[in-house]
Amino acid sequence: MSLVLPRSSALARLNRRAWIAVAIIAAAAMAIALCGIGFGSTWIDPRRIVEILLGDGSRGERVVVLQLRAPRVAIAILAGGAMAVSGYLLQKVTRNELASPGVLGVIGGAGLGVVIFLALLSDESNALVTSIVWQPVAAMIGASIAIAAVFLLSGQQASSAVRLLLFGIAVGAVCKAGTLILMIVGPIYRTTQASRWLAGAVNEINWGEVQVVAIGLAIAMVGVFTVARRLPPTDLDEVSARGIGLNLPVFRILVFALASALTALAVAFAGGVGFVGLMAPHLARLIVGRPVIPGIVASFLLGAIMLVGADLIVRVLFAPTEVPAGTVTAVIGTPYFLYLVLRRGSTNG
Amino acid sequence: MDKAVTVTALTVAYGAATALSAIDLGIPKGKVTVLAGPNGCGKSTLLRAIRRLHQPKSGEIRLGDLPISGLKEKELARHIGLLAQNPSAPGDMTVEELVRLGRYPHQTMLQPWSAADGEAIQAAMFGTGVSHLNDRRLGSLSGGQLQRVWIAMVLAQETDIICLDEPVNHLDMAHQIDCLDLVRRLNREHGRTVVLVLHDLNLAARYADRLVFLKGGSVVAEGEPVELMSEVLIEDVFGISCRVITDPVHERPLCIPIRNSTPRFRAETAA
Repeated sequence: MSLVLPRSSALARLNRRAWIAVAIIAAAAMAIALCGIGFGSTWIDPRRIVEILLGDGSRGERVVVLQLRAPRVAIAILAGGAMAVSGYLLQKVTRNELASPGVLGVIGGAGLGVVIFLALLSDESNALVTSIVWQPVAAMIGASIAIAAVFLLSGQQASSAVRLLLFGIAVGAVCKAGTLILMIVGPIYRTTQASRWLAGAVNEINWGEVQVVAIGLAIAMVGVFTVARRLPPTDLDEVSARGIGLNLPVFRILVFALASALTALAVAFAGGVGFVGLMAPHLARLIVGRPVIPGIVASFLLGAIMLVGADLIVRVLFAPTEVPAGTVTAVIGTPYFLYLVLRRGSTNG
Repeated sequence: MDKAVTVTALTVAYGAATALSAIDLGIPKGKVTVLAGPNGCGKSTLLRAIRRLHQPKSGEIRLGDLPISGLKEKELARHIGLLAQNPSAPGDMTVEELVRLGRYPHQTMLQPWSAADGEAIQAAMFGTGVSHLNDRRLGSLSGGQLQRVWIAMVLAQETDIICLDEPVNHLDMAHQIDCLDLVRRLNREHGRTVVLVLHDLNLAARYADRLVFLKGGSVVAEGEPVELMSEVLIEDVFGISCRVITDPVHERPLCIPIRNSTPRFRAETAA
């Protein structure tokens, strides 16, 4: 729906308020990203980080910031943001705030896709024998198969959000089990990475991987803003949405595909980080309200904040032991999920 | 008689069960047509089939000369507006936001919002008397107000044909009359063709220019209310013995039910 609204309408006011909220969230995201880079074995002042990012600094400083810390924060921003937008889309088209890439089995599917890919295409020294560009593709295949399975199992009642969620949880669990089995029976050298594929983590990331995700995400976001215009009718029941000219069953499949692609991009290198795709879009809607475009942007930023923040927390609490950031999002996300389930009276079954 | 919609040999099935069999029907342009019949007669299915929510097994539906099967989703939505039986929207959506959605089929990627959209929304809200509710959240409205807002959304769609699927089901008597008066006014003042599914036979007789009786998935009779509201026909279609008198206020036929006359029911009450 258009952003050009008649003056003095409450809608225009709501929209303006939404964008102000987005600006504040963006500032917070920036601040936490700088903290994410600054924190480590030595603390680097945020102002100094900006200078280094702009080309200043000694060789040592440049290596620490640009090679060691920045990629880790960058992947956390991209992966957290991608999952959050994925969750926003899913919550919107299912009209259910419990929907998210994790609950619908998409994360599990993407994770399993990557683990199978790694098992098949790594050599003895744990190096890929093919380009890392294929890693997100494997994740997308896994994610697509998972969501398609959820759809097929839901059958005639695919428009019932509750059934989708139940089958999503089941498919997700099967994928998780598959991932676990591969971790256990797979060659021993791969278990160093086990934490990532089981819980989700952003350590040991290089710029090449960040680049692949960034390019994929840029393409996917073009798709997101293209479908955004068609999202408002999805707030209505299926018959009413069709009545105003949106073929909801077909559109829903398109959005599910897009959401799977976004999740796959995140999972491809950051692993199965849980609950960001559930919490971030939900909080975004609480903060910015109903306008769609600000909602998408706020979801992305909040997702980024959550994953950067979670990674920061595990580093502060557990360094030098590498604890996967996904454990923090899961610890916070699970009660959040339960809270949403308990106040389910307010959702559309 | 000019036809807005022509239904030819339409058969609709849910799996193995046939819901509508070989229906032929013309919906007159600029009139209020009411589809009536007992539960499960196929009246809602027919309305939904006209809006292409059901894929027909065979047969054809045309808008004027256009077969609806050839229209794109948005094109169809510019021809036919639909008020669903149980429409739902988030409670925190504002009235204006919902009415705006009626403009969705008129908007394109290149022209997301036009002055015509604004005018249509204003006119629809004024015409349904909800302008003052503009900024209210849907969750804060009464049932009667909410139904008016939904009608405003359908009206903002600016379609020649408006379909309403049991629009007064959940309303009390005052709001039923209020809602149907509104629908008839839109028909008389704006020349919209209206197709209504109504449960209540007397409301049907009161508001219809043309009445269609369905039973068991077939059209049993169609015509003006005075022609159709005969005691024999009503007993045959609805299974009630009744008296039909003329409503002294509106001079429309009025059915006074006496008792359920289906054979099974009679056998049970006799025993």
